[in-house]
Amino acid sequence: MINRTDLVVGVILLAVCGWLYYVTASFDEVSPLFAQDMPPERFPRMLLWIIAGLSILLPFEQWLRKEKGKILDTKRKTPVRPIVYVTIGFLILAVLAIQLIGTFLVLIVVCIGLPLLWGERRWKIMVPFVVLFPAAVMVLFAHVLGVYFDPGVIGFKFP
Amino acid sequence: MDAVLQGFALIADPGNVALIFVGVLIGVVVGALPGLSSPMAVALLLPFTITLEPVPAIAMMASLYCAGTFGGSICAILINAPGAPPAVATAFDGYPMALRGEAGRALGIAAVSSISGGILSLFIFVLATPLLSKIATSFRPMEYFALAIFALSMLASISGMSPIRNLIAGAAGVLLGTVGIHLTTGVERFTFGYPALTGGIGFVPVLIGLFAVAELLNQSQAVDKAYERITATVVKLPTREDFRRIWGTILRSSGIGTFIGVLPAEGATVAAIMGYNEAKRWSKRKEEFGTGCPEGIAGPEAANNAATGGAMVPTLALGIPGSATTAVILAALIMHGFRPGPHLMKETPEFVYAIFAAMLLANFMFLGIGLAGAKIFSRITLIPRTFLWPGVFVFSLIGSYSYGASVYDVWVTLVAGVIGFVMLRHGFAPAPLVMGLILGKLVEESFSQSMIILDNHWWRMFESPVVDLFFLLAVLGLCWPFISSRFAGR
Repeated sequence: MINRTDLVVGVILLAVCGWLYYVTASFDEVSPLFAQDMPPERFPRMLLWIIAGLSILLPFEQWLRKEKGKILDTKRKTPVRPIVYVTIGFLILAVLAIQLIGTFLVLIVVCIGLPLLWGERRWKIMVPFVVLFPAAVMVLFAHVLGVYFDPGVIGFKFP
Repeated sequence: MDAVLQGFALIADPGNVALIFVGVLIGVVVGALPGLSSPMAVALLLPFTITLEPVPAIAMMASLYCAGTFGGSICAILINAPGAPPAVATAFDGYPMALRGEAGRALGIAAVSSISGGILSLFIFVLATPLLSKIATSFRPMEYFALAIFALSMLASISGMSPIRNLIAGAAGVLLGTVGIHLTTGVERFTFGYPALTGGIGFVPVLIGLFAVAELLNQSQAVDKAYERITATVVKLPTREDFRRIWGTILRSSGIGTFIGVLPAEGATVAAIMGYNEAKRWSKRKEEFGTGCPEGIAGPEAANNAATGGAMVPTLALGIPGSATTAVILAALIMHGFRPGPHLMKETPEFVYAIFAAMLLANFMFLGIGLAGAKIFSRITLIPRTFLWPGVFVFSLIGSYSYGASVYDVWVTLVAGVIGFVMLRHGFAPAPLVMGLILGKLVEESFSQSMIILDNHWWRMFESPVVDLFFLLAVLGLCWPFISSRFAGR
């Protein structure tokens, strides 16, 4: 009757709701006259109650939906592959690097690093991809659309 | 009539025609690539259109939307992997027909059915939008609140996966919309002392994160997946015999698709599945379905393209998105300074007709592109994922950065992407969250105004028959997935 994974998801959602409800208590107070009887915390709290209520129902959903409910477990049957965590780590480092090496160099790093991480070794395709693609994107955004890109601490700007 | 002509004149500009062509081309390519979707492409296009005038910007997005829905059928037919979710039902009969050596015929039926569905729905769009806008101008805040609640309740059935998850995601989206300064009181909410959050969370970085980065993380687990591709010969237009078999299906599916599209939150995928089921139900050759039956291609293709025109009706007339892609288009309208809803039709009717003209043109363009270039587009699937997805990330990074020229937006995109990946894994679709985020302001404002008008006596809302109707529909929308499951179980 109860799906254990959904129970964990439901508990996490309830915990987040509880924390956000606590945060709503820290909103600045305003006089009822000024707030026109609609204090700033009322609407978020209503939503949190709704999410919490639905989270309680979540572990029972598969049982409620009979056959259709079985589909819900298909995607999470296999564990997350380590490459996902590696990719997330790489993307975080890439975004962190924007302020250090600038946007253009980060694009080049992404175009080299991500295919390599994913097992790509065909250099004949990789070299033109790394050289041409980031340059083409930068020409479009920096020159055609006039977007200013952060050159980073080392100050390398796209020509 | 003047407004219609003005709208067409706006689109007739050669620059705008060129942008519509580019939109169609991107749409067909994106549609043909498994994993890439129309909402993702429109979200990535959003930052690019900031510098454009509103008419070409929205026209380009609307064209991409039409073409992307059609593009999905190419892969569905040739590699049995729908390029986009709305093409899922096209594969049921398209791929078996292609296996028989009739790939060109299958693509031809898909192209003609798509354009027929698209054009029929556009005429409904052009007739229904002014009417719906006229009705909506009489809406007070409580009617608008009830309408928004009805739209959110429809999220319960947005996909067959999980109504509860969709509703949680929708409510979370609305909650996300409350971040920043409360307009009535000026109080900061959920900003945690971080100045960048006082202006709220921008639509664009969240949309790019949820649709593009989340899918990138998902695809990182399947980089070695290869598709078996059937070589397409020349695309053949349907024969007279084919037309005789499919015209009834096209008309019926166009009607179904338009109706499903008009319903808030329901999109082309639901329409396509219903179009396929109805085509089968009405067919005299039910046993042929699944083996390469022409009606099995015409039904979903006419329905999913009809849903695009239908989905534009509530988006423009009411400011309520008809699908995930129109939710992104709605965000673009807001970004370009428009007020989607009845006022849009009242104040700038030529703009609405310009979108109609752009979509009409896009339908003819994708027919031409589809017929002439299906063979080339089918080769797009040969692009290695190890290059395709890093390319998508480059556009995501640049797109979110360009939105506010700040690294903060790139972080929002990345966080939204990781959250989106976790959501997808646990069955939470990103579309409801996006819809909630976009509808959030409308829900809160209309609720606050209603409470002030009604002196906090919320039950007085039910004095309005329109409110009663919307709430009744909302209750039905919420209960339907569970009722239908119970019936299906018997």
